Amino acid sequence: MAGLAWKWPRTRLPVGASALGVFVLCWLYVFPVYRLPDEKEIVQGVLLQQGKAWRRNHTAVALFRKLLEECCDPGQLFAMTKLNSPMGKNLWFDGEFLYSVTIDNATYSLFPQATPFQLPLKKCSVVGNGGILKKSGCGKQIDQADFVMRCNLPPLSSEYSKDVGSKTQLVTANPSIIQKRFQNLLWSRKAFVDSVKVYNHSYIYMPAFSMKTGTGPSLRVYYTLEDFGAKQAVLFANPNFLRDIGKFWKSKGIHAKRLSTGLFLVSAALGLCEEVTIYGFWPFSVDLHGKFISHHYYDNVLPDSGFHAMPEEFLQLWFLHKSGVLRMQLEPCEDPFTQSSA
Amino acid sequence: MGYTDPSSSRDLLGNRTLFFIFICAFAVVTLLQQILYGRNYLKRYFEFYEGPLEYNSTKCLELRQDIIEVKVLSMVKQTELFDRWKSLQMCKWEMNVTEANLFKSTLSRCCNAPAFLFTTQKNTPLGTKLKYEVDTSGIFHINQEIFKMFPKDMPYHRSQFKKCAVVGNGGILKNSRCGREIDSADFVFRCNLPPISEKYFTDVGVKTDVVTVNPSIITERFHKLEKWRKPFYDVLQVYENASVLLPAFYNTRNTDVSIRVKYVLDDFESQQAVYYFHPQYLINVSHYWLGQGVRAKRISTGLILVTAALELCEEVHLFGFWAFPMNPSGIFITHHYYDNVKPRPGFHAMPSEIFNFLHMHSKGILRVHTGTCSCC
Repeated sequence: MAGLAWKWPRTRLPVGASALGVFVLCWLYVFPVYRLPDEKEIVQGVLLQQGKAWRRNHTAVALFRKLLEECCDPGQLFAMTKLNSPMGKNLWFDGEFLYSVTIDNATYSLFPQATPFQLPLKKCSVVGNGGILKKSGCGKQIDQADFVMRCNLPPLSSEYSKDVGSKTQLVTANPSIIQKRFQNLLWSRKAFVDSVKVYNHSYIYMPAFSMKTGTGPSLRVYYTLEDFGAKQAVLFANPNFLRDIGKFWKSKGIHAKRLSTGLFLVSAALGLCEEVTIYGFWPFSVDLHGKFISHHYYDNVLPDSGFHAMPEEFLQLWFLHKSGVLRMQLEPCEDPFTQSSA
Repeated sequence: MGYTDPSSSRDLLGNRTLFFIFICAFAVVTLLQQILYGRNYLKRYFEFYEGPLEYNSTKCLELRQDIIEVKVLSMVKQTELFDRWKSLQMCKWEMNVTEANLFKSTLSRCCNAPAFLFTTQKNTPLGTKLKYEVDTSGIFHINQEIFKMFPKDMPYHRSQFKKCAVVGNGGILKNSRCGREIDSADFVFRCNLPPISEKYFTDVGVKTDVVTVNPSIITERFHKLEKWRKPFYDVLQVYENASVLLPAFYNTRNTDVSIRVKYVLDDFESQQAVYYFHPQYLINVSHYWLGQGVRAKRISTGLILVTAALELCEEVHLFGFWAFPMNPSGIFITHHYYDNVKPRPGFHAMPSEIFNFLHMHSKGILRVHTGTCSCC
């Protein structure tokens, strides 16, 4: 007995401790400390707010703009320009771990002199691609804004124009789209040029310096549009701006590998525009009336899970809506029944 | 002052005297040489002014024989070959139909350009595993997309054109004023995207039916067409409706770049056709010329075009094919008519190729132009 006791002198305590540990882990798993409200709860919350009239809170707008100015300075840093990225500057990619490029003569010549907008912009519409836009009839209202921003080269054909409008001043394009839909622009380029014709005189905003793999396709978009003398111009996203915006939202409690393009755009819009209205930001599978909707207004391709934290982002935006910083359009702008009868 | 070297008068066959004698002997020999050659030059000069000699005159037969009997380039000194070639210029050139036909039938047996010059849907069906010319382990699988790029069948047939001009880029074309004579041909081949701007057109002409593009040019000057493409398109536009010919299946590096050329022209809605050399044709042609003594890593594009032209045309005229640092009169010339960038040494065997052309000229199979033109 004595030998055994000597062999296992501290057996009993660790068994108890690990049992306790397992118990705590299980408890945390079942009732987590940090827990996101699920879809139903969010919809309920939104519905509660729905009856109240929304009013822009100008002090809140000014305050939020000041916050953004302090952290990220959208007016200067929104895009890569000759002013904010002089030649020879070392540029750290925001989506890679320790990877940078130095701006050389060839790259430098692709940048505009300064951010090419008349700042501040008056009324802005930021259009997400959520399925909630389908049959919303918001096209007219979206087009009424002075400046319309869209995400990820969305389709704007005539069947959608009633719901999403037709005006565009800025559209983002993800390099992965260029890769998937246009074979990295290494072969035929006509299809791409034809597909961006719907955006008329708009800027195509590309995160060229976020991922290693994105630089080539993004620069090629520039070359292609220049070759064809297209009306669209390319703006390259500034990785420093994207990183600052990411940090800003992280401090507000968004846990994701990377923010979605939509949130980047909304943040930029809040810094650049006086009045911001956002459409189609609704990352859930049911609408306010409990009807199932598609993921995008044009298709139902679900994204890779675990990359973006859409519900968290939505909650942040919803908070901004409630505090009167921006307006979030979730209801249809026109009654679909009167729309169809008209 | 009264001092003189006492031994100086005795140094009859000393160093200084011997040295003096040597110098004198050398001078005399040089003088004699000059006199002899001078007379020769003088004679030839007068002969030239009697007007070009008839093709079948004994003198011309002799002169042609002079060149034909040089079997290997190293048999004679280069200056000697130049001299013989220069004297042959006195003679009119005529096609020797029997010789030419004999040669053409040899070519049709070995290479058969009218069927195999380009990759076509007929000779390269869908699913073919195309072998590269140099990367023997490399195989290119012809898929639907590539297959659609190929023409249905060869656009040219045997002896379709009466008179063809193959224009090399040799510096000999500079100030040759051959532009109009080149343009008067029914079909004009050009090599490696040569400039034909106003600066050069009196010498090289503008008519172009087929222009070859070396993928290395695309890689170097146009960033593999991965960046801007308009500059490349603009360069091709200069040749108007010329077809673009690329060695896409020469090695694996060339393929992507060459295929991109087709996309560029399609994107800009150009009417120009894009053709690709059939790798088997290239293999056959280089094998044939290896048998004729052209030992090189690779035969030049010019030689391939001339070989193809011999099958596609009745009469073939060569302009700007002269790969020596000086022209036949011994005056130094630039390497190309537009620049003086020397090629990589040991890649092409240019002198040996030109030597073959001179032989063929003497036999009456084709005509090599090395002088100035006074046509039209």
